[in-house]
Amino acid sequence: MTKLTKRSRSSVKLFLGALLAGLALFPPGAQAASLDGVRTVPGWWWLAPIAGALALVMAYVFYQSIAKANPGSERMQEIAGYVREGAYAYLRRQYKVVGLVFLVLVGLLAYMAFVLGVQHRLVPFAFLTGGLFSGLAGFIGMKTATLASSRTAQGASESLNRGLTIAFRAGAVMGLTVVGLALIDITAWFVYLYKYHHVLFGGHPMNLETITVVMLCFGMGASTQALFARVGGGIYTKAADVGADLVGKVEAGIPEDDPRNPATIADNVGDNVGDVAGMGADLYESYAGSVLATAALGVAAATVAGWDGTRTFAFLSAPILLAGIGIILSIIGIFLVRTHEGANMKALLGALNRGVYVSSVLIIAASWGMVKFLAMPTGVFWAILIGVLLGIVIGKGTEWATAAEYKPTQAIADQAVTGPATVIIGGIAEGMLSTWIPVVAVCAGTLLSFAVLNGFNDLLAGLYGVGIAAVGMLSTLGLTLATDAYGPIADNAGGNAEMSNLPKEVRQRTDALDSLGNTTAAIGKGFAIGSAALTALALLASYVEEVRIGIHREAAIEYVAPAAGQDYALASVGADYNKKWAIFVPGAKAGNREEQQYYTLSAFEGAGENAIVLLDDAGVERSLIINEVGELVKDSPLVDINGKRLAATKASLRDFMTLYDASLINPKVLVGVFIGVLAVFVFSALTMKAVGRAAFAMVQEVRRQFKEKPGIMEGTERPDYARCVAISTAGAQREMLLPSVLAIALPVLTGLLLNVSGVLGLLVGGLCAGFSMAVFMANSGGAWDNAKKYIEAGHLGGKGSMAHKAAVVGDTVGDPFKDTCGPSLNILIKLMTMVSIVFAGLIVKYAPAIGHWLNLGN
Amino acid sequence: MKTHLYFNCYQTEALIASHLTPEEFGAYMAVGTRKHTTGNVVFFEVDPARAAATVPAAGRIDELCQPHPDGSPRRSKYLSTYRVLEHLPIEALGKLYLVTRDGRVLALDGEMYKGDAEPRGPNLYAELSPVAPRVVSFLPPSRFVKFVTDPANLVHVPRIFFADQLLDREPDGRLAGYLPYMNPEHIVDCVNEVAVAEKSAKIVERNPRLIAFYRTIRRGFFVGDQTGVKIYPYPSTDELDDHHHLWWRSASLD
Repeated sequence: MTKLTKRSRSSVKLFLGALLAGLALFPPGAQAASLDGVRTVPGWWWLAPIAGALALVMAYVFYQSIAKANPGSERMQEIAGYVREGAYAYLRRQYKVVGLVFLVLVGLLAYMAFVLGVQHRLVPFAFLTGGLFSGLAGFIGMKTATLASSRTAQGASESLNRGLTIAFRAGAVMGLTVVGLALIDITAWFVYLYKYHHVLFGGHPMNLETITVVMLCFGMGASTQALFARVGGGIYTKAADVGADLVGKVEAGIPEDDPRNPATIADNVGDNVGDVAGMGADLYESYAGSVLATAALGVAAATVAGWDGTRTFAFLSAPILLAGIGIILSIIGIFLVRTHEGANMKALLGALNRGVYVSSVLIIAASWGMVKFLAMPTGVFWAILIGVLLGIVIGKGTEWATAAEYKPTQAIADQAVTGPATVIIGGIAEGMLSTWIPVVAVCAGTLLSFAVLNGFNDLLAGLYGVGIAAVGMLSTLGLTLATDAYGPIADNAGGNAEMSNLPKEVRQRTDALDSLGNTTAAIGKGFAIGSAALTALALLASYVEEVRIGIHREAAIEYVAPAAGQDYALASVGADYNKKWAIFVPGAKAGNREEQQYYTLSAFEGAGENAIVLLDDAGVERSLIINEVGELVKDSPLVDINGKRLAATKASLRDFMTLYDASLINPKVLVGVFIGVLAVFVFSALTMKAVGRAAFAMVQEVRRQFKEKPGIMEGTERPDYARCVAISTAGAQREMLLPSVLAIALPVLTGLLLNVSGVLGLLVGGLCAGFSMAVFMANSGGAWDNAKKYIEAGHLGGKGSMAHKAAVVGDTVGDPFKDTCGPSLNILIKLMTMVSIVFAGLIVKYAPAIGHWLNLGN
Repeated sequence: MKTHLYFNCYQTEALIASHLTPEEFGAYMAVGTRKHTTGNVVFFEVDPARAAATVPAAGRIDELCQPHPDGSPRRSKYLSTYRVLEHLPIEALGKLYLVTRDGRVLALDGEMYKGDAEPRGPNLYAELSPVAPRVVSFLPPSRFVKFVTDPANLVHVPRIFFADQLLDREPDGRLAGYLPYMNPEHIVDCVNEVAVAEKSAKIVERNPRLIAFYRTIRRGFFVGDQTGVKIYPYPSTDELDDHHHLWWRSASLD
C-alpha cells in the first residue's frame, strides 16, 4: 500500500467519517411517511444526493487546482489554445445540431404525451434533462481536458508524479462530473416526483412504479446525447487522425504531432471529442440507465411480491444509495493514485490500479453494510460483488486481448512480417476470438446475479439481481472514468510536449504517461461495452414494465368507467381484437392508483382463489372476478358470471411476455432478432463509411494546404489548423445524422409493425450481435494499434520496416473499428432499448391496429 | 548572396550550385519542389576552390549561379550530373548533410579515418555512390575502400561513398529483431558464406530500398579511394534524440 500523505489521509478519514456518520444518523427502519401531503423520504436516502453534490464539489476543487497549475511556456499555451478553440468549435456545432434533434424529439414526445396521451406528461421534460446533463458532463470534461494538456506537459517537466496527478485529476473532473450530475439528476427527479409533483399539480401522490418508469425515460435523453457525442466524436477523431496520417505521415513523411501537419490540431481535438466527451456521455448514460432500470425493477419486484412500503423503498433506493457510496469511494480512490519519480510503465499502471482495486474492495465492504442496513436479502450483496468482479474481469480481458505484452497482439505483430493482408486477417481473427472473455463473463455474471436472488423462481427479483450487479460494476465509475479520460489528456500532453520541443526528460515522462493512457483507454472501452451488455437485460425487463404501464394508460384513456356496480367487460379493453389486462375501478385504494383513477390488474392484490380484492379510499372492500386473460370483471357484490368463478392471478412480467407471444416460434420475434442483428451491421457500415468520407475531405484539405502553402513544410508558413478543424467538424455533424436517426427510428418502426414481440426480438438481436461486434471491433482495433506500437518498440524490424508498414495498415483499418464503430455500438444497444421504453405507449396503442390492418395479428 | 556548392550523392549524382544554406537546400531538395526526391536526400557541401582543379565549373559558380531576375536566390543550378564523385577530391568534401523525407537536415562533420584497431567484421555496407548495392564483408572500412577502388581488381570504382550499417545478431545467429532489413535470413546466409569462403565481399542486394535507413547506421559514412578514407561519424541514438530530436523523429519514421 502506498504511503499516503498527511493531507490524503485526512481526506480519506473525512470521507469515511462522513459515510459512517451519514448512516448512523439515519437508523434502519426509517421509512416514508406522510406529512401534509408531502411525502418524506428516509434520512439515509439523502446520502445519495449528498454524494452527488460532493462529486461536483470535488470536481470543482480538482478543476480549480488544475486551472491554477502552471500552464507552461507561451508556445505550450499557444498549442493548447488551438486545441481548445477547435474543441469548442466542434462542441458549438454539435450542440446546435443535437439541439435541433432534441427540439424535434421533445416536440414528438410532447405530442405523444399531451395529445395522444400515450405516455406520461413528464417524459418530455425528463428526456430533456437527461440530454442536458449528459451534454453538460461532456462539456465540462472536455473543458477540463483541454485546459489540462499543457499543464500536464508542464507538470511532467517538474516531475512524473506531478504530470500524472494533473492528468489524472483532470480525468477525475470528468468522472466525478458524470456521476455527480447523473446522481443529482436521478435524485432530484425522484424527490420532485415523490414529494412535490402531486402537491404542486394536485391529484394523488404518484406511486413508485410510475415514478421509476418516468425517471427511466430521461435515459433516452442521455442516450440520444451520448449517441451523437460518440458517433460524431468518433467520426471526427478518425477523420482527423486518418487525414493527418495518410497525408502527413505517409505522403509527406512528417512524424506525429508535428506542427507542420495542418491536421495535427484536429487530431488532438479529436482525442478530446471522441474519448473524453464521447466516453463521458456514453458512461453517463450507462450509469444512469443501470441505476434507473434497477430501481424500476426493484419496485416491480416488490409490487408483485406484495412487500411493504419500507421494503419496496429499500429496493428502489438500493441502486441509488450504492451509486452514492460508490462516488465517495471513488474520491478516496482518486487520492490514492500517485507514483514516484522514474516509475516505469508497470509502476504507473500499478498506481492507477491501486485506486481502482482499493475502491473496489471498499465498495464490496460498503455494499455488505448497505444490504444489512436496508434489511435486504444477502443475494443483493452477492449480485453487487459479482458486478464489481465482472468489471475487473472485463477490464483484464480487454487488457489481455489488446496489450502488447500478451500473445494475441504479438501474434498479430508476427503476421505483419508477411504483409498487410495477414495483419488484417490476424487482427480480425484475434478480435473475434477475444469476444469470448467478456461474453462469457457477462453470461456468467448474468446467470449468477440472477440466481443469487432466486431469479429462477422469482423472475423480477432475479432481474433486479442483474440490474444491481450492473450498478455494482458501475458504482465506482467516478474513478474508472477518471482513468479512461486520463488517456486522451496524457496523449494531448505528449503532443504538446513534442510540438513545443520540450527537453528529452519531459518527453520521456509524457511518453510514459501517454503509453499508460493507451492501455487505460482500451480497458475503458471494454468496461463501457461490458456494462452496456449487463445493463441491457435490466433495461429489457424495464421495457416490458413500460409496456405494462402503457397498457394501463391506454386502458385508462380509452374507456370510460361504467357506474359502480355495473359489469366491466375487459374483452373490449384496448382494441376489440386485443385483450388487455387492465381495468378501471373508480374509488379503489389510492396506493394502487397509477394516476387519477386508473388501475391495472397487475397492481391488484389477489384474494383467495377466485377473486381479487380492492380497498377503495373509504376502506370498503370491493371484490372483482376476473379470469386469467381478463375477460370478465365484476364489481362487488359478487355475481357469478357464466356460472363459474375463475382464479385471478397477478399479471407478472412473464404474463406480459405470454400476452404478446414473445416466444421464439413467433415469427415476429425472429424477424425482430434479424432486424436487430441487421441494425448492428448497417450501423457499423454507416459509421465506417462516414469516417471514410470525412477522412477523404480531410485528406483533400491537407493536400491542398501543402500544395498552396509550400512554406508549411519548410516551416516558414503556419498551416490553417482551423480549416481542418472545421472540415472534420462539418464532416462529423453531417455524417452522424443518418446512423443516429436509424438508431432512433428503427425500434419505433419495428414496434409499430411487429408490436412488442418484434421489439423484444429487435432488442435481443441488437444486444447479442451488438455486444459481440462492439467487443470484436474494439479489441481488434486496440490490438492492431498495439501491434504497431510493439513493432515500433524495436521488434520485427522496428519503425520503418516492411512489418511496420503492414502494421500501420492494420492500425489504420482498426482506427474506425476501435474509436468509431465499437464504442458507438454499445450506445446503439442502449439507445434502441431506451427508445423502445419511451415509445412503448405509442406501440401499445397503435401497433395492434396496424398489425390488424396488415393482417399481422396483434 | 553567398553561392554554395553541393554534391548530391545518393540516387542522383549531381553537383549543384545554390544560394540556399545547407539547411534550406536540404529542405528544398526534399520538399520544396514538386520534383522533390523520393526518400531521403544525402549531400556534401563542397569547397569550390578545391573542387575547381578537377571540375572547372566549380570555379565559376558565382558566374553560373545568378539570382533570379527579381533578385530572389537561385535554389539550384546543376553543374554536373554524371560521374561526379570520381572527379571530386576527398579534401574538397566538407560537411555531410542527411535530409529526411520531410526536409529535416542533420549535419555531420568529417575527419580523415585512421582505422586504428578496426574490429574484424562481419560488416554490412550500403554503397551509396557511384553504385548502390548492399554488401557484406569482413573487411574493415579502410580495407574495404582499398579493395573496392583497387584498379587491379576487374571490377572497381575510382572512389566510393558508403554507409556502415548495423548487423547485430541474436545469440542464435539470427539478425536482431529491430533491424528493418528485408529478407534477413539471406543476409545471415551471405555473412556465413563470406565467412567460410573468405571472400572479400558479397553482394546481398543489388539495388536495395534503404528502408528506415538513418535508423540503421552504425559507425557512420565513409568516402575514400586509394589515397585515403574520410569518415563522417554518426552520433549515438541518445545523442540524436537529445540534441537533434526533430531530425531523429523524422528519421525514425522511415
